[in-house]
Amino acid sequence: MKEVLVKTHELWLVTLMASFMSKDCEAKRALNDFSDIIFRHFTWLERALIKQNIEYDYNRDQIPIKVDNTKVIYNNIVARINTIELMLVRLEDEDLKFRIQKDFDYIKYVVSNLDGEAVSAFNAKREYKDVKLSKEATDAFTLFLFEESYKEYELIMIYNYLKAHSKDDFLNKIFQILVDESFFHLKSFGQMMAEMGILGVPRVIHKSLYQIEDVVQFLKDGIDEELAAKEQCLELSEAVGKDSEELSRFFDFINYQENYHIALMQDALKYYESKGD
Amino acid sequence: MIDVDNELIEHMANPNNYGRIEDASSIGIGENPENGEKVIIYIDVKDKGGKPFINDIKFEAIACMTTVVAGSIITQEAKEITFDTAEELIAVTLGMLEHVPPEQAACSEMVAVALKAAMDGYNLSKDSDKKETLIYKIEQSCSPELEYKEEDK
Repeated sequence: MKEVLVKTHELWLVTLMASFMSKDCEAKRALNDFSDIIFRHFTWLERALIKQNIEYDYNRDQIPIKVDNTKVIYNNIVARINTIELMLVRLEDEDLKFRIQKDFDYIKYVVSNLDGEAVSAFNAKREYKDVKLSKEATDAFTLFLFEESYKEYELIMIYNYLKAHSKDDFLNKIFQILVDESFFHLKSFGQMMAEMGILGVPRVIHKSLYQIEDVVQFLKDGIDEELAAKEQCLELSEAVGKDSEELSRFFDFINYQENYHIALMQDALKYYESKGD
Repeated sequence: MIDVDNELIEHMANPNNYGRIEDASSIGIGENPENGEKVIIYIDVKDKGGKPFINDIKFEAIACMTTVVAGSIITQEAKEITFDTAEELIAVTLGMLEHVPPEQAACSEMVAVALKAAMDGYNLSKDSDKKETLIYKIEQSCSPELEYKEEDK
């Protein structure tokens, strides 16, 4: 089952990246929804591993996604599902197997029937819609997207791991909100990267980052990082503001969202400290 | 501000040799004691003419994107070379960093010292059953240069 978890992790990311590549609204929406469903499969499989006391981590292979036409990545998604289906045969939990299999039946049907389209998500043109940015602003925007898309992926995995290993309802509610928030940010940044022609899969996260020994320190560091991220958003908002109201408003929006994340992390921190953890 | 070009984008989007080698001959860690950032180098070592040879190399970075780019470049250079040549590579890399601002130098230094730690660890443990994972610390602080400054224009 550990291998199924790894392959599901990879399938989730490929499907998410495919949703960024596609410009067809219907295909994009379907792939986006499917990536969410596959991530839920990942959490179910993870829970099953924990229940059986099987050790696991979030290691996975690097995922090549550079294609000229979306049909290639759609075929890759179907091939990956076929591989997982073969592994599912050995899964003992019949209910879990049935739920995943039935989702796969429909996902394969839809993805197989999606039309291919030319992909511009890797052309490295670094142009965002019709916005004219200076070289410095474009460079700052590029570096921000690479750094922060990885960071959001990292946060999804960290909070997901904490949630999977906690039975505390209060903390789990906070962790789930933080996962959801990071999902939104990852999707926003991923879409922008595809638009800029610089799409890339976030690198593999090292286990020391999510198998956290000192959660209190992690939350304290995390709050500092969120404060730094707010500063970056503010600077980027100012940098791109004169060229693009849309981008400026977006970075202001992300900046204010960080306030909520900080408040949630502070709540979690207080809770941990009150418990003496 | 880092000058971004297509080569840099390629290193960020698809870093060379990122990941781990499960049965690595040796693992070395470069660490920034100021902020806990780390680079972990895995090497698979073979014998070539009686000398240790880096047959394969991978790295993981718990650090900023600049460090990932440095890891992508340095590990590519360190692939399929002898330890002697790798020592030269490390010396050249560290020498070059003397002319680079400390906050940028730290990221590459972390990769170079992790490679050195992996090689030294291999040499220490090659005649025993026990593998040594050495951790070498750097002195500089590594900070991602993401900020956009008006005076940069």
